[in-house]
Amino acid sequence: MPIGTLSQSRGLRRITALALAAAVSLGLAFGSTAVPAHAASEQATDSTTLRVATSGFVDSFNPFTSIYLLPTNLIRYMYEYLVQNSQTDGSPTKGLAASWTTKESGKQWVYKLQSGLKWSDGKAITAKDVQYTYEQMMNNAQLGTANGNLVTNFASVKAPDDNTVVINLKSPQASNPGIEIPVVPEHIWSKISKPADYKNEKNVVGSGPFLLQSYKANQSIVLKSNPNFWKGEPKIKKIQYIYYTNSDAEVQALKSGDVDLVSGLTPTQYNALKGVKGVTVHSGKGRRYMSLSINPGMQTSTGKRYGTGAAALQDKQVRQAIRLGINIPSLMKHVIDNQGTLATSFIPASFPEWHLSNKSKVLVKYDPDAAKAKLDQAGWKVGSDGYRYKDGAQLKIRLFANSDDPDEQAMAEYLKPWMKAIGINLDVQSSDSDTINDKVTKGDYDTYFTGWSVNPDPSYQLGINTCASLPDSDGTGGTSQDGYCNPDFDKLYNEQLTELNNTKRKATVQKMLELNYQDAVAVDFWYANSLEAYRSDRFTGFGLQPKKDGIIANQAGYWGFLSAKPVAGSSNSSNVSTGLWIGAGVIVLIILIGGGVFFARRRKSDEIE
Amino acid sequence: MISPVGSVLQDEAEDFDEPGAGASWLKYAGKKAGGALISLVMVIILGFFAFKILPGDPVATMAREHQMSAAQMAQLRAQYGLDKPLIVQFWNYLVNVFTGQFGESYVYHQSVSSLIGQYFWPTILLTGTSAVIAIALGLWLGQKAAWRHGSLFDKITSGTSLVFWSVPTFWLGLLLLLIFGGTLQWFPTGGMVSPGGDSTWFGTVMDVVSHLVLPVTTMVAVVYAQYVMVMRASLLEEMNADYLTTARAKGLREDLVRRKHAVPNALLPTVTLVFMHIGGLISGAVTVETVFSWPGLGKLTYEALSGPDLPLLQGTFVVFSAIIIIMNLIADLIYRQLDPRVRRA
Repeated sequence: MPIGTLSQSRGLRRITALALAAAVSLGLAFGSTAVPAHAASEQATDSTTLRVATSGFVDSFNPFTSIYLLPTNLIRYMYEYLVQNSQTDGSPTKGLAASWTTKESGKQWVYKLQSGLKWSDGKAITAKDVQYTYEQMMNNAQLGTANGNLVTNFASVKAPDDNTVVINLKSPQASNPGIEIPVVPEHIWSKISKPADYKNEKNVVGSGPFLLQSYKANQSIVLKSNPNFWKGEPKIKKIQYIYYTNSDAEVQALKSGDVDLVSGLTPTQYNALKGVKGVTVHSGKGRRYMSLSINPGMQTSTGKRYGTGAAALQDKQVRQAIRLGINIPSLMKHVIDNQGTLATSFIPASFPEWHLSNKSKVLVKYDPDAAKAKLDQAGWKVGSDGYRYKDGAQLKIRLFANSDDPDEQAMAEYLKPWMKAIGINLDVQSSDSDTINDKVTKGDYDTYFTGWSVNPDPSYQLGINTCASLPDSDGTGGTSQDGYCNPDFDKLYNEQLTELNNTKRKATVQKMLELNYQDAVAVDFWYANSLEAYRSDRFTGFGLQPKKDGIIANQAGYWGFLSAKPVAGSSNSSNVSTGLWIGAGVIVLIILIGGGVFFARRRKSDEIE
Repeated sequence: MISPVGSVLQDEAEDFDEPGAGASWLKYAGKKAGGALISLVMVIILGFFAFKILPGDPVATMAREHQMSAAQMAQLRAQYGLDKPLIVQFWNYLVNVFTGQFGESYVYHQSVSSLIGQYFWPTILLTGTSAVIAIALGLWLGQKAAWRHGSLFDKITSGTSLVFWSVPTFWLGLLLLLIFGGTLQWFPTGGMVSPGGDSTWFGTVMDVVSHLVLPVTTMVAVVYAQYVMVMRASLLEEMNADYLTTARAKGLREDLVRRKHAVPNALLPTVTLVFMHIGGLISGAVTVETVFSWPGLGKLTYEALSGPDLPLLQGTFVVFSAIIIIMNLIADLIYRQLDPRVRRA
C-alpha cells in the first residue's frame, strides 16, 4: 500500500462501496416485501386457474376466419353452436337449439332455440343472431374462410321469431346443418367495420362456458368463465394457456407445477410421468387416424392421369397384397407402445356411430402367404434376388417418410423387411414434410404416411374420398385424401347425404367404408391414443369425449374443462417465489463479484501509483 | 461463416495495398460499407427466391389443420397473393422490404416488421446478457490460462471449455431444464415472465432474471470457449515479445506485466471476433429460445419454419443477415481504429 492520505481514488472507492451496500440492502428490502406479497396474490387467484401448456399457432380468435387448431378449439369454448357435439359419442345434441325437425325430406331444417339464453354481456341470444352469423358466411367469401364449406348447401336462413331458425337448403341433407358453426352476437359484430380482419383477441362477448379475456402472442392466452353459460358457470374460473416451444419442456413444467395440464405426449414422455407425485397420466381414444396412403394412379376429375406413381399400384391386387404383408398389431406395439386402437377405416373408433365395425367381413389380418398369392395372381413372379418381376421390371415401390418424425422413421424400418418377405422392393426415401406434401400434390409418389383429425359427422371425410375431390383438369383445386375415385362409392355417398333415417344412413356409410377398404387406396394402421397428463393434486373431474375412454384436450366439443373442478385445499404449487429468490440471489452475487473485482483492481492500481 | 482469424489476416493484407495516412480511412470505410451494402442486397434477393424454391404450399399446410373445401383454399391463396405470377410476387416483396413492412405474416395476420419489433428486445436481452458474460469469462480465463500455460489451471480451463463447446446446445439446454427446472425446481421451465404477471417492478425484474438464468447459462457454456481459445492463443503469441522483457526489467511485477502490457496487445484479434460473434449469437439464439420457450426472434423463426409462414421467414432471414453484416462491418472498422499497426497512420 502506498503511504498516502485520503487520495482521490480512495474517496471514490468509499463512495462506490457505500452505493453498492445501499443498492444491495435496498434490493433485499424490496425483495423481502415484494416477494411474499406477490406469492400471496398468486395463491389467492390460482386455485381456480387451470394452466395448460400449449405450442399451438394462433392466427386470430375470429370464428369466421381462424383456421389453426388451437384457436379453433378455444372458439369451441367461446361460442355455442346451434347444435353441439355430444360428450357421449359426438352425435348432435342440444346447443343453442333445444330441438329440431326436418321438413321437405331434408331440404328444410327448423330449430327451436332454448328460452332465456343470454350472451355474456347480458343481452338475449335470439334467432336473429344465428341468421346474422350464417348470412355473413354465405354472402362474404372472406367470412367463409374457416367454415364456408359448411354453408355451401344453404339457400337461405330465416328467423320467423326470436326462438325459431329455419335453414332452407339447396338439396336435402342428412347431416345436421347446425353443427360446427360458432354463432356470434349480432349486436357486437354488426358494428365492426371489417369483420374479416377483426382479431377478436380480448374481452370477447360469447355464449360458451369460457370467454377469451386476453391474449399475448407466444406467451399466454387467458380465458375466464362465463356466468351466463346456459349449463351454469364452470367451477374453473380461469384457464391460462402458457406457451412452450418444445414438448420436453412441457413435461418438466408439469413436473415442477408450472402448468396443470399437458397433452400430445409421446409414449416415452407418458411413461416418464407415470408415478410422479401429484400427476395423473391419461390415455384417451383420439380422433385421428394413421395410415399408409397408396397411390392408385392419380387422375384429374376429367380422368387425365398425372404424376409418376408406380404402374403396379394401379392394380388393386398389389395394393391389397401390401396390406396383407404388414403386421399392423406388431407395428402398433413397437411404434406407439400399443397406445392406440387398431384401425378399420379412416373414421376413428371414438365415433362408434360411423366407425367401420370390427366385425365387418371384409377386414383381413396379417397374412404374408395370402399376400404372395395375390401378387402371383397379379402376374408378379419371384426372381433370383427374391424380389418380384413382371415383363423384366422389378416390383419397386417408393415410400416417403418424414425425416423429422421418429414414428414414421420407425414404421419405415419395419415395413422394409416385411415388404421384402413378399417380394416387394420398398425404396424408403426420407425427406421433410413440405417436400413430401409437395410431391404428393403433384402425384409424384407411390406410398407415404398420412393421417387426419376427423370430426364427429363423417360427411367431410367421406366427401374427400369421392371423385369430386380430385383436382380440376388443370391439376388444381384437389382436396382428395388418397386420390380415390370409385363411382359406386360416390353413389352411396350421395345416398347417405340425403338419408334422414339415421339407421339406414349408418348402414350406407358402413358399405362405403367396406368398399374403400377393399379398394385399398390406403392401409389404415391405427387411431393413436391422445396421451395427456394433469396435476391431479390441483384439479379433478375433467370431462372426457367420448365419455368412455375419451380425451380431455382437443375434443370436438367443450366438455373437457366444463366439469373440471379444483381439488379442495390445493394451492398453486408453482415455484414462482423460489425463482424470485434465486433471481435476487443471482443479482446480489453479480453485484458482490463485480464489486470485489472492482476493489481488487483499484487496490492494484493504487500500488502502481 | 468466415473464420474470424482468416478475416483479420485478410484485412491486414488488404490494408497493405492501400496508401497510408489517415485520409485513407474514409476510403477504407467506404469500401467496407459498399461491400456490406452489396451483401445486403444479395440477401434481400436471396430472401425471396430461397424461400420460393423451397417445396411446400403454405395453404395446403393450413388445410391439414382445418377441414377445407377447394373454394376456401383458393380464397386463402388469393388473400396471400399466392395466385399471382412470381414476378409480381417478387415486386410486392421488394416494395414491402423497402417500405420496411416485409408484408403480413400468414399466421399472425400482422405486419412482419411489427412482429420482429416485438420479439427483438427479448432476444437482445438474452443474447446481450449471454454475450457480456461469455466474453468476460472467456477472455479472463483465456489470458489466465495462457499466462500459466501448461499448468493444471490451463489444462482444466481449456479442457472444460472445449467440452462445453462440443456439447450440442439443444442437449445441454434440455439437461439443465430437466435438472434445475423439472427436478430441483429452482428455476422456471420456460418463457420470460411468469403468467399472471406481477404488480411490483422489482418483482418483475426478479421474475425475468430467474427466467434468464438457465437460457443464459446454456448459451454462455456453449460459446465462451471460443473467447478462451482466441485469447489464449493471441496472448501466447505475445508472451515472448521483447517489450515484455523490457517491462520486467523495469521491475514490474509479473501480474502487472500481464495486465498492462501483454493483454492489451493480445486483445486486438479478439475484438473482431467479439463483433462477428454478436451477430452469430443472435441467430444462435434460435436453439436456446426453442428449448426455453423464450419469446424472441429465434422462437419466432422456428415457428415460422413450421408454418411455413413465408413473409415472416423472409423478414427474419433478412434481419438476421443484416445484423451479421452490420456487425462484421463494425468489426472491420473498429479493428483498424484499434490497431496502430493496421492503421499505419
